[in-house]
Amino acid sequence: MSQQSSPCVPGLFTEEGGARVLGNRCVTCNTPYFPKASACHNPRCTESKMEDAAFGGKGVIWSYSVADFPPPPPHKFDKPFKPYVIGVIDMENGLRIVGQLVDPLEKVQVGAKVELVIAPVYHEDDKAYTSWKFKLV
Amino acid sequence: MQEVAVLGVGVHRFGKTGDDIVGTKSVTQLCRHAVDMALKDAGVSWSQIGAVTAASSRFSGGKGWGLNGNDVVEDMGSTGIPVYNMSAGCAAGGNAFNVGYSMVAGGIYDMVLVVGGEVMPKGMIQTSGLEDPNDPEFLRQRCVGMPGPSFWSTLARRRMFDYGTTEEQYAKVVVKARKISVHNPFARFQKEVSLAEVLASPYVSNPLRLFEICPVSNGAAAVVICSKEKARQFSANPVMVATSAVATVDFSDALPRGLSGPVPAGPSFHTESKAVVLKAFEQAGIGPKDVSFTELQDNCCFYELAYPEEWGLCAPGEAERLLDAGEYAPTGRMPINPSGGFVSFGEATTAMGVWQIAELTWQLRGQSGGRQVPGAKVGLCQTNGLGGNATAAILKR
Repeated sequence: MSQQSSPCVPGLFTEEGGARVLGNRCVTCNTPYFPKASACHNPRCTESKMEDAAFGGKGVIWSYSVADFPPPPPHKFDKPFKPYVIGVIDMENGLRIVGQLVDPLEKVQVGAKVELVIAPVYHEDDKAYTSWKFKLV
Repeated sequence: MQEVAVLGVGVHRFGKTGDDIVGTKSVTQLCRHAVDMALKDAGVSWSQIGAVTAASSRFSGGKGWGLNGNDVVEDMGSTGIPVYNMSAGCAAGGNAFNVGYSMVAGGIYDMVLVVGGEVMPKGMIQTSGLEDPNDPEFLRQRCVGMPGPSFWSTLARRRMFDYGTTEEQYAKVVVKARKISVHNPFARFQKEVSLAEVLASPYVSNPLRLFEICPVSNGAAAVVICSKEKARQFSANPVMVATSAVATVDFSDALPRGLSGPVPAGPSFHTESKAVVLKAFEQAGIGPKDVSFTELQDNCCFYELAYPEEWGLCAPGEAERLLDAGEYAPTGRMPINPSGGFVSFGEATTAMGVWQIAELTWQLRGQSGGRQVPGAKVGLCQTNGLGGNATAAILKR
């Protein structure tokens, strides 16, 4: 498959040097943000000091659900629609993040270990549009 | 602070556009019905109302600006009174009640009409629809595709992990609710459903099924509140407002509302809902043990199990046992949603906080017929809405 691929929204994630989402972190209180926050939102933080950070690697499934029906626009999906699992992942880097799982429902469990990957969410004009997802490890 | 009484309440039965209940009625027509009923119940005329607090809707009426209270005043007849339009997502009705209550308690107005009404678009509530990469909701839909109900099903799935809750137990919540709905003439659904029927309904977002998630509805509710002193002219023993509270989400809230947040140190729960209920308890000097019954926002069955535990009405992990033992029923030790709840009404989003006040009032007056909580003395109600808004009120006899 030499199909071209492109991020479904540019500037949010990268595959260079490993799959990671691009956010930032407040150096003062260590709060991670994705997408990037213009300032720290932690009311108990004494000074907002934002520094770019990329978040990838491993985490555990805090919980998950299933899109049994296609979500309304602006979601885009390949037809015919196939239900997919959505995970809420507690990552080792301190970020709790939502993302699709590439694995089927039967294999998914709360507490299971996953890693962040970049994978297609839909195809248009022979091109794959990608997003961050999670994969059981 | 003045003590505040609920003088009159009114509700237009909930329904769905095109059905025999609401047909093609506009939100103004639905509100008119509820307001007329509340005024009649209170024994006051429109000209005696000193101010209106209304829930702002994004979906219907309000001239596209959420001016739903102005629509009601124009329809009833413009008397020049102040109108406050409150916007708080699904918590707007509760917010309007809080503002009305606060102004009567503060001695600003003697008598206030609180009103909320909706004509909802079909299907799931849509996002803003903007293709704006700076809008987190756009990113959540384009990059992940997380339909509305999957937020609730994520919480429901986690509870199954934490407490061993089964899909059958979730379904039993709905069976309980719909059993009560038979006795509520204002509910959209007034038919019992069996456990088998609930479990045969399709998944909307596994583990939640179609019958376990409240649909959207059209409906309206109105209440007339006034100072205790003023109330004496109309009623010897009116239902009193013990307190009304509003809160918003805390930064520590770790529920998956957006794309991401920090991993929390402790458990994950609706911080706005817990904060507002605890605040109401504190303000009223009333504790969970004093509560005769509770009307809480059950967008899905999960909340009827989780919320009572989070607010101290029962112990963590105890909800399923209480449900199985019949304690959730109007005649049980911890009646939850004796109205039939959102799952029997459907959500006429911004009307819900006002409708709850009407349900509490009927219960405390002993007017709830087949769904009556015997000897009800204290009622608690709660809503939450987009933006991390939450409201609670405690009414007492």
